[in-house]
Amino acid sequence: MNPLSLFFKKQYAIEEKIQRLLRYLEDMAQLYQAAYESYLDGSFEDLNQGNVELGKIEKELDDLGRQIQMSLLHESLMPDSRDDLLWFLTKMDKVPSSFKHSLSDIVLEKPEIPEDFQLPLKNMLVHTHDAVKALANATDALFSDLRAVRQHVEEVGRQESMVDKIEYKLLQSVFEDEKFELARKYQLKGILKQLGAVTNLAEDVADAVLILATKHSS
Amino acid sequence: MLDPTVLIFLSSGLFLGWSLGANDAANVFGTAVGSRMVRFTTAAIICGIFVVLGAYVSGTGAAQTLGKLGAVNAIGGSFMAALAAGLTVYWMTKLGLPVSTSQAIIGSIIGWNLFSDSYTDISSLLKILSTWIICPLLSAVIAALLFSVAKIFVRKMGIGLIRFDGYTRLALILAGAFGAYSLGANNIANVMGVFVPVAPFPDMQFGQGFSISSAQQLFLVGGLAIAVGVFTYSKRVMMTVGSELMTLTPLAAWVAVMSHSIVLFLFASERLEQLLANMSLPTIPLVPVSSSQAVVGAVIGIGMLQGGREIQWPRVHSIVKGWVITPIISCLLCFVGLYFLQNVFQQTVQRASNYELSASVIEKFQKEGIETDGLQELDGKVFQSSAEVVRRVKDMVSLSSKQGLKVVEYSLQKSLFVTAEKIADLDKNGLSSAQLEALSKLEGQTYNFAWQLGDALAAISPEWIVLGGGLKNKLHDRGIKQKLAYLYRNFQRRER
Repeated sequence: MNPLSLFFKKQYAIEEKIQRLLRYLEDMAQLYQAAYESYLDGSFEDLNQGNVELGKIEKELDDLGRQIQMSLLHESLMPDSRDDLLWFLTKMDKVPSSFKHSLSDIVLEKPEIPEDFQLPLKNMLVHTHDAVKALANATDALFSDLRAVRQHVEEVGRQESMVDKIEYKLLQSVFEDEKFELARKYQLKGILKQLGAVTNLAEDVADAVLILATKHSS
Repeated sequence: MLDPTVLIFLSSGLFLGWSLGANDAANVFGTAVGSRMVRFTTAAIICGIFVVLGAYVSGTGAAQTLGKLGAVNAIGGSFMAALAAGLTVYWMTKLGLPVSTSQAIIGSIIGWNLFSDSYTDISSLLKILSTWIICPLLSAVIAALLFSVAKIFVRKMGIGLIRFDGYTRLALILAGAFGAYSLGANNIANVMGVFVPVAPFPDMQFGQGFSISSAQQLFLVGGLAIAVGVFTYSKRVMMTVGSELMTLTPLAAWVAVMSHSIVLFLFASERLEQLLANMSLPTIPLVPVSSSQAVVGAVIGIGMLQGGREIQWPRVHSIVKGWVITPIISCLLCFVGLYFLQNVFQQTVQRASNYELSASVIEKFQKEGIETDGLQELDGKVFQSSAEVVRRVKDMVSLSSKQGLKVVEYSLQKSLFVTAEKIADLDKNGLSSAQLEALSKLEGQTYNFAWQLGDALAAISPEWIVLGGGLKNKLHDRGIKQKLAYLYRNFQRRER
């Protein structure tokens, strides 16, 4: 047993909850990618099941987030750190919601994805998953080793930029290709934007992590 | 049996202790409690315990310097000195002016010296005055250095956000405990220093090997008064200081408390003095310094390190104003108060002392390097006050401030009678067998001046010799002088 845990029980408990939250976030990213890919491969049922499971994890994640917030408010962390953490958690909370919204829209709209979009979309999903994983690593470093935060944040930025590039190319082909009707163009644009929004949010949160790390190490 | 009037006279010292606890605990725990990093109850318990410990264990050093400035020799005088200082602190706080207990008590002692026509040792006064500048400056320098090192350390360690929060909280509690110990050790002299020369408690002996001197008992009582001040009234002040210092980051707050504590400790630690003396390095004077000045100095140091733009210069200005105003008000209050206490309430505020320039005293002056040509004219003359004897000697020969203090010490009449009964009653702890043997050889002897007993002992045993000259002997000599002072108290004949 770590002897320091006797002195810092409250801090260790909050850290453990944040670790669980990050694991849930990574699980969501994996589930999102798998469900989305199933749909691209033609299995609507797997998408539906993935969406249900994603909902369950999101609920657990919400509960855990609330528990952390309550701990922060009641366990009398220093006001400065507490306010920073609450601000960060509020930002972080938007990432799982974006997974849920994106997948729910697919379930609801069942969009017809053009054949030549499948591979780039799968690439986007891989980069999205990697961006969220890097975000989880950056957040983990915020609570374990501030020196490692920057490299993970930069990784989030790299993945986001890859997603942006693919998204832009796909949007270009959507609006340049005459075979799509206007309604379909906007439907595909919505789907692509939803998918791109996940990494945009991940980048926003990663920036917040970097701000906190810089603030607390200077 | 302790005279109940003694307690009444001590009350002013307790009031001063209470106000010190109420005000200065905020310098130690204000940031942590004000920003709710540490609960008030936790802070008060830690502060209370460590203040008492510091006062009891390490309070003697700083008190001795105050004693040199002016030894208030009647408890009525001590009462008024502490009361004047306490009232000055109270009024200045009410007016919202930054206040220092140290400066208030120095003002009071000067007031007593003026009223009783006692000699003021200018070198001791200058030593104390210099610390009023050195203390905040030193605190600022230590804070700037500590903050730079702490920042590098934090950056290199990269400690996670929540864990850093926990470590900072623990560091603040530890720094607070150290600060409280230093506050007790250094500032107890302000609270009880004026009562030391008239210490009303007899020395207490607990079995073999453990005794509590009258000064330690006073410091313990004073420490408890400070602790009561912390528990009963410091919360409000802590909340104010905490909010004022909210612009400091937790790390900067820790640095401020640590620097303040280090400075107070430096000016109170006899062990450090011994260490420096053994290494032939200049020692730091053991002087009661202002806790508020130390903490403000530390904050300025951190501010200067960051460019100095955030420093509230008007506040610095008002602090400097406070340095000048506080001792003056306290001095005047003490002087007027002593007049009323003596003439309206018919209380003794100074004990009558005679200073005689006998042939043996003049011979002693010569041995101690004081010029004596022309002093023979004053042979046999007796003076009623220490200031008068110094004035008259100065009229004849040139005299430095320290020599003035020697003139007072050697010419003071003190009738001593060494009896077997009193030797048997002595607390023998700390006295070597050679020292005791020398003492027993003087059984039946009488002396008119205290130094004569010291010289007689030194002639019999080298273990009673005050070596003098040089830093290395400073602490040895202090030990001998403390033992001699104990003997003088015990062998003094009671006045009828």
